[in-house]
Amino acid sequence: MNTAMTREALEQILDQALQDVTERTAGVCLRQDDQPPGEDLCTVHITFDRGFNTSLTLCADKNLLARMARNSFHEEAVSLEDLEEFSKEYLNVLCGKVTGAMYRATQIPAHFGQPTFYHGRYEPEGQEVQFILTYSDEHSEGAQLIHHVPCSQEDGTVLDET
Amino acid sequence: MSKRIMVVDDSRLVRVQLEDTLKGTDYVVAAYCRSGEDAIEQYAVVKPDLVTMDIIMQGMDGLDAAEVILKNHPDARIVMISSLAYEDTFERAKAIGARGFIDKPFHQEQLINVFEQALQ
Repeated sequence: MNTAMTREALEQILDQALQDVTERTAGVCLRQDDQPPGEDLCTVHITFDRGFNTSLTLCADKNLLARMARNSFHEEAVSLEDLEEFSKEYLNVLCGKVTGAMYRATQIPAHFGQPTFYHGRYEPEGQEVQFILTYSDEHSEGAQLIHHVPCSQEDGTVLDET
Repeated sequence: MSKRIMVVDDSRLVRVQLEDTLKGTDYVVAAYCRSGEDAIEQYAVVKPDLVTMDIIMQGMDGLDAAEVILKNHPDARIVMISSLAYEDTFERAKAIGARGFIDKPFHQEQLINVFEQALQ
């Protein structure tokens, strides 16, 4: 993902996948916006390996994730455990769609690990933000999809690239 | 008569989606299994018309579980459901005798088409 495709192409794949998966799994329509999520946040993080040494972080308003979880599980209320379970499974499905699209574009198979869930914001160590896609829905609750790449050294080379 | 489906998936999200998608169709979910090991044990008890099998699960993966079920029950009809759909995965699924492959997230039309083909 660092050099195999352009940033613009990757942004487009991530944007389409996020909008499609969110609508189909949770019945929520997210559109790109400039307004970042509020203070009460949850973060899910997933790492790509084998061919793409990067990671993806979804940082979203807790209320938005809770509404998505309620819609998906057909529950009137969800617990924190439900929220975590939904967030991880949602990111799993999203990453499956993203890696499939990346494979069609580059012929490089990517694999991703198990997602990890955090209350609040999480910044992966040893990585820096390459770009952020910001979204909101009709209730003005928001989410950010953040693509991280390994930190650059001073001479411009990239650490840990496989 | 409704066709009985055994769903093998450790994802609650996918189980709920499958149930929603199959509402109003000729297919009914007869059993859920959360692991490949559970599916191997349950297959002979449930005797489903069709199995939907996730690939990436904790413990034994879906391809290995499908292989064991098909070895023990050569007439089993298994459709793989996964978000990781590379050629080598397709090829292995075909080689072990899976009857179809569905990407997540799925559409009803796609699901029913693959089920119908698998049951022919």
